[in-house]
Amino acid sequence: MSNPQPRSAALQGVQGRLDFRVVTKRYGPTVALSEFTHSFAPGEVHALMGKNGSGKSTLVKLLAGVTEPTSGIISVNGEDRHFTSPHDAFKAGIVTVHQELSLVPELSVGENIFLGRLPHRRRAGFSVVDWPGLHRRAGELLADMGLAIDSRQPVSALSVGQQQVVEIVKAMSFNPSILLLDEPTSALASREVKQLFALIERLRARGVTMIYITHRMSELFEIADTCTVIRDGHYVGSVAMKETTPPAIVGMMFGDAARATRPPRRQLDRATPVLEVRNLSRSGHFHDVSFDLYPGEILGIAGLLGAGRTELMRAVFGADRIDSGTVAFNGRDMTGASPRDMRKAGLGYTPENRKEVGLVQSLSTADNLCMASLGPISTKGLISRRREQPFIRRQIADLHIKCGDPELPVSSLSGGNQQKVVIGKWLNRQPSVMFFDEPSRGVDVQAKRQIFDIIWQQAADGLASLFVSTELEEVLEVADRILVMHHGAVVAEVDPTKTDLTELYGLCMEGAKQ
Amino acid sequence: MTLVSQTTESGGQNTPLKFLKTYPMEIILAALVIFLIFVAPGFASTGNVLNVLRTVSMLGIIAFGMTAVIISGEIDLSVGAGAALAGCIVAWFADRFTDVFGDWGAVTVGFAAALLLGFMLGFLTGRFRQWFNVPTFITTLALFAALRGVANLITGGFPMSSFPIGFDFLGGGYLFGIPFPVYIFALTFAGMHFLMKYTSFGREVYAVGGNMEAARLSGIDVWRVKALTLGLTGALTAVSGTLIASQIGAGTGTTATGMELDVIAAVIIGGTSLFGGKGRIWGTLIGVLFLGCISNGMTLMNVSEYWQYVVRGGIILGAVLLNQVLERVR
Repeated sequence: MSNPQPRSAALQGVQGRLDFRVVTKRYGPTVALSEFTHSFAPGEVHALMGKNGSGKSTLVKLLAGVTEPTSGIISVNGEDRHFTSPHDAFKAGIVTVHQELSLVPELSVGENIFLGRLPHRRRAGFSVVDWPGLHRRAGELLADMGLAIDSRQPVSALSVGQQQVVEIVKAMSFNPSILLLDEPTSALASREVKQLFALIERLRARGVTMIYITHRMSELFEIADTCTVIRDGHYVGSVAMKETTPPAIVGMMFGDAARATRPPRRQLDRATPVLEVRNLSRSGHFHDVSFDLYPGEILGIAGLLGAGRTELMRAVFGADRIDSGTVAFNGRDMTGASPRDMRKAGLGYTPENRKEVGLVQSLSTADNLCMASLGPISTKGLISRRREQPFIRRQIADLHIKCGDPELPVSSLSGGNQQKVVIGKWLNRQPSVMFFDEPSRGVDVQAKRQIFDIIWQQAADGLASLFVSTELEEVLEVADRILVMHHGAVVAEVDPTKTDLTELYGLCMEGAKQ
Repeated sequence: MTLVSQTTESGGQNTPLKFLKTYPMEIILAALVIFLIFVAPGFASTGNVLNVLRTVSMLGIIAFGMTAVIISGEIDLSVGAGAALAGCIVAWFADRFTDVFGDWGAVTVGFAAALLLGFMLGFLTGRFRQWFNVPTFITTLALFAALRGVANLITGGFPMSSFPIGFDFLGGGYLFGIPFPVYIFALTFAGMHFLMKYTSFGREVYAVGGNMEAARLSGIDVWRVKALTLGLTGALTAVSGTLIASQIGAGTGTTATGMELDVIAAVIIGGTSLFGGKGRIWGTLIGVLFLGCISNGMTLMNVSEYWQYVVRGGIILGAVLLNQVLERVR
């Protein structure tokens, strides 16, 4: 075979030593990774832990060659490297398996593994794809990893778990000495996780160094040799899994999370709920969820990404269909209502991804602020400028939206101000219930405080809110009561004054108290 | 009013440049007109100007509706065939139902039928998108073929010309010295401009085209908005088709061939984004006038018809390129 192809048998002889020396990465004024120094020993599985925004993904990007460090040195196998592109990382023997699957569903397993470097042979003077050779080699690779998957079947015929495994086989076909696994289990069922772990064990036995990123504490103790924790871009520490405990790791991740100043919790009148959700299910997303929401209450929903928090909110709001269960609003049955009906009933929803679905970026701040209130600002379908102005001015003043000219496109605003526009759009409806989905995502600390102040202020005025955030400290701080979701089910209800981060984090990850 | 269109400025530029960036098509149109006045024989004569305006009117009436459709993020390829069918329906009624409704009665009923059918076809195209997830590109491509067939079936493949006396006034007559269709054109412009700029429906169209999910989550009935813009365009197509039938004095299945291309071209030249969410009725007016002037000018200058097609193609591409470039420097 003239075409140099990865040899499945040549996985031996890898080194896989990885050193970070005072590596810093800045994005403008923000320091994503600060003077990170650590040596990852070869041939081990290194878990990388840290809450959202801690710098984990920056570390992955640096290793994958997606971005370059601002300063500092990364060395692979004792050799200093400077990656300017993913290709450089590749050449250094580092292959990344990203969180999102990157397989082409319609193509065969074998073709996916060799995508972009299909083997060729000559037939009647033409260079054509060597299909038999490709599948033979793919078959060897799969067998080598102990997998019984036919390389000829399309990827779409595989389960998500098998696809994840194929993704790793593809990565291994490049014969790397270092393998980066970015949340490989996030979409997998537990049985599939076992299969994946078997593969990881096999690779470890061959001396491949693996950096394993996950949120699931139990997995760490099952698969990892060491755990390295970063927080706010700083290296916190590295421990051997044999010598640590889950609470110790959570402690390292969160540090002494200072509870910021929130107004004193008020005694809530939980007599008549404004929103009653009963046995709500949507297959594949969440099941049998029930809760009540009371006037003036901020009900937090905690859970990991994919636990079904956003899906639940969207379904209650009528943005997605539900399979069973009921939703009642002020005692009135609203099951199966549309967002339009919900808006009319007095419910507002600020979605998690404001750029994609919260705002119309091509329109102005003023237009976006009025978007849910076109009825009130117009008479017989005719927009009245006179009536429109208070709707714009009031929110800009109340929410401290820094926008200069409200007639300019909303896309010119900072993230925090855009989020306030989304909130202002709904406050213009004077809702009695608001769903806040990740209102603090991607906004700076000051804007975050302001947004929380708005939520508390509105709650004091009687607004009932659902509050979702991936940041557990935020949920603890903002909410009056917390529901914990795990794999689409509500597994616990906790009082934020009677719990701590370790317990909450444990609940979110394990779905039950340890 | 707060529609953010191409007039948005980053500020801090000197005024002539700013003017150039804000009104690119207006300037190009003005330059074209001045050029044609000097180069194309008879371009500035009253007769020719009125002629251009009349031709432009048939196109423009539909183009204003199409602007709304494209802003809402959809497309309608069936307007040429729809216009032909509308003319044939009116002619067919005039041919068959004069006994029942009288001369003008039959024409009126025919027009009403064409109007209703145009609206319903557009509206249902929108609903098809909603119910069966069939892109409007496909539905209207199907209608593009089918409607012309139906038009020929109605007329038996021959022009039907049993219109009442005086019917030719609608498409070919003059009122106060100005071709009658120009009044309809002006009315449609004013109406659509008003609708898009000053009504909540207009703002919903921009919102739906700019970000459908955000609009839906804001409680806007996005499918209704899309279906209504398509229906509106269907109705305007019927109006234009009737005027064309009046002008040529017959309903025939072969009129308005390729009109959809000119209509869409005018909208795009006017700066409306095919991705939805951005555009102005005013821009389409400029686009329609631009297309009208250039094809009239080329005819006056004896440019071959085949070259005219090539030039038109170049203009469409050029206009989009210009908008993209301006988008970048803004």
